[in-house]
Amino acid sequence: MSLLSLSNVHTYYGESHVLEGIDIDVHEGEVVALIGRNGVGKTTTLRSVLQLTQPRDGSITYRGEELVGLGTHEVAQRGLGWIPEERRMFGQLTVEENIRVAVPDAGDEAAALDQAFETFPDLESRRDADASDLSGGQQQMLALARGLVGENDLLLVDEPSEGLAPLIVDAVADALNAAAEHTTILLVEQNLPLALDLADRFYVIDHGTVVDSGDTSDVTADDDRLRRYLSA
Amino acid sequence: MNGLVLLGDALVLSGFVDALVDFLGPSNLGTVLLDGLAKAALYVMIASGLTLVFGLMGVLNFAHGSLTMVGAYLGGLLLVLTAGTATGGVTRILLFLLAVVTVFAILAAVGGLLEVGLIRPIYDRPPLYQILLTFGVTLALDEFVRIVVSFYGIQPISEWQAALATKPAALSQSYAFAGVSARGLALFQILFGVATIVAIWAFLTKTRYGLFVRAGSEDGEMLAALGVDVQRVFTLVFALGTGIAGVAGVLLAWDPSWGASVPLAAETLLPAFVVVIIGGLGTFRGTVVAAGIVGMTDATMTWWFQNFVDFTGLPEMTIFLILVLTLVWRPQGLYGVSEVGGH
Repeated sequence: MSLLSLSNVHTYYGESHVLEGIDIDVHEGEVVALIGRNGVGKTTTLRSVLQLTQPRDGSITYRGEELVGLGTHEVAQRGLGWIPEERRMFGQLTVEENIRVAVPDAGDEAAALDQAFETFPDLESRRDADASDLSGGQQQMLALARGLVGENDLLLVDEPSEGLAPLIVDAVADALNAAAEHTTILLVEQNLPLALDLADRFYVIDHGTVVDSGDTSDVTADDDRLRRYLSA
Repeated sequence: MNGLVLLGDALVLSGFVDALVDFLGPSNLGTVLLDGLAKAALYVMIASGLTLVFGLMGVLNFAHGSLTMVGAYLGGLLLVLTAGTATGGVTRILLFLLAVVTVFAILAAVGGLLEVGLIRPIYDRPPLYQILLTFGVTLALDEFVRIVVSFYGIQPISEWQAALATKPAALSQSYAFAGVSARGLALFQILFGVATIVAIWAFLTKTRYGLFVRAGSEDGEMLAALGVDVQRVFTLVFALGTGIAGVAGVLLAWDPSWGASVPLAAETLLPAFVVVIIGGLGTFRGTVVAAGIVGMTDATMTWWFQNFVDFTGLPEMTIFLILVLTLVWRPQGLYGVSEVGGH
């Protein structure tokens, strides 16, 4: 049985029909990449799973339980973590507070902080700094740390390499690879080589529907099969 | 003719210099400082709930002043019922604290019901809906209280004297320290205001729910995606905000400059908005600093109109001038951010 399953999901922004019947399956322990051009519905797919944008039709199940109709916090409490595009730090909270707010149980805060600072040592020296004062790379580390301390079984990761220097992208890839050893990941990533490197399987989305899918081992980043959906 | 004008100017200037020297004397300066702190304490009490609610929920609660007014009457009622003529000063202070706790609990419960029953269904509507709704609540509350107090023979327009009379004699007296005269009530209000600031600050920075409130003020959607029930945090903060509004009312019920009356609703709403706008919508630190500025300005200008300028509107005019200058210089307020509210 799939860990996460989207079946014929239709999502709208107002009257704009963004997801036109998406079907996706994610199995426990794998990394699945959603790839496609800007504006085809990748981020909306993640938002639909989290019920941040409620689908008007279709079904989204997690461990067999229907998510459509639940509140976002109820979805998150079932073990789904979100590392959003543009990181969305709480800028006026400190690094430490940003991590603490993501820990479900107050009693686990100290252990979660230890875990986060062990994984991302750069953050420890800035633990009392406001998140808004961090560099882009440090903010991405903090976003990853926030997702990892949440005791999540499935991480929804949106454009983790966006706007980062190549060296930082490598560090982010390492962190995601490490996370993938014990967490299932649904990844949205425009950087095709990175997406194929991290993921076991991929779905190509175009105009709100899945137009191709397969194992990442069967394709390369300059494969025509993918390129025709990614070029503008 | 020109000579007369010059003579008049010289006399005004001389009078101003005399008044300035008088004002800067340690006795007057100390007294004005204490009065300013007392007024600042009241403004913090009046405005804190408003800023907490706007900061997290993005709701401009026009019923805030009416909830303060209800708190004043409820607190006054509890004091009138419990404090007899033979009750001593210490006992009256204890009864006041009991009234504070009781009014906080009642108003917090009312606030929670208001949020769940009336405000929650219109979160997704434009802000105009919230303004109209809370304005409607304020009209309904004001009329309800007017009918009730009139029924019991209490004049709704002027301050409720029976509640004012429950104040301990020690708070009605003035005390002199090193030439500085201090009203007992002013000292009490300063202590109470400081205790309130510390309590709210401790809630926001030392508790897990306070952490959620600060995070939710920035990005409610992200907070929900971390598994926090933001709706519950909204209800808690609205209850807290209305509870604090009620407590401010209890404090005002003992102050002869305010007192429990139906017009207290409008009289407190305006300065609350002024303080919140100067400090920055939704920031508690901004509210505390702005309350200090407005309180000090109020006390200073009150002294000047009593001793030099024959214009009773001088304090209000100066405060509104500060408001206008703030809006021109920093439209988001002293500590505000350009956008607040996370939903």
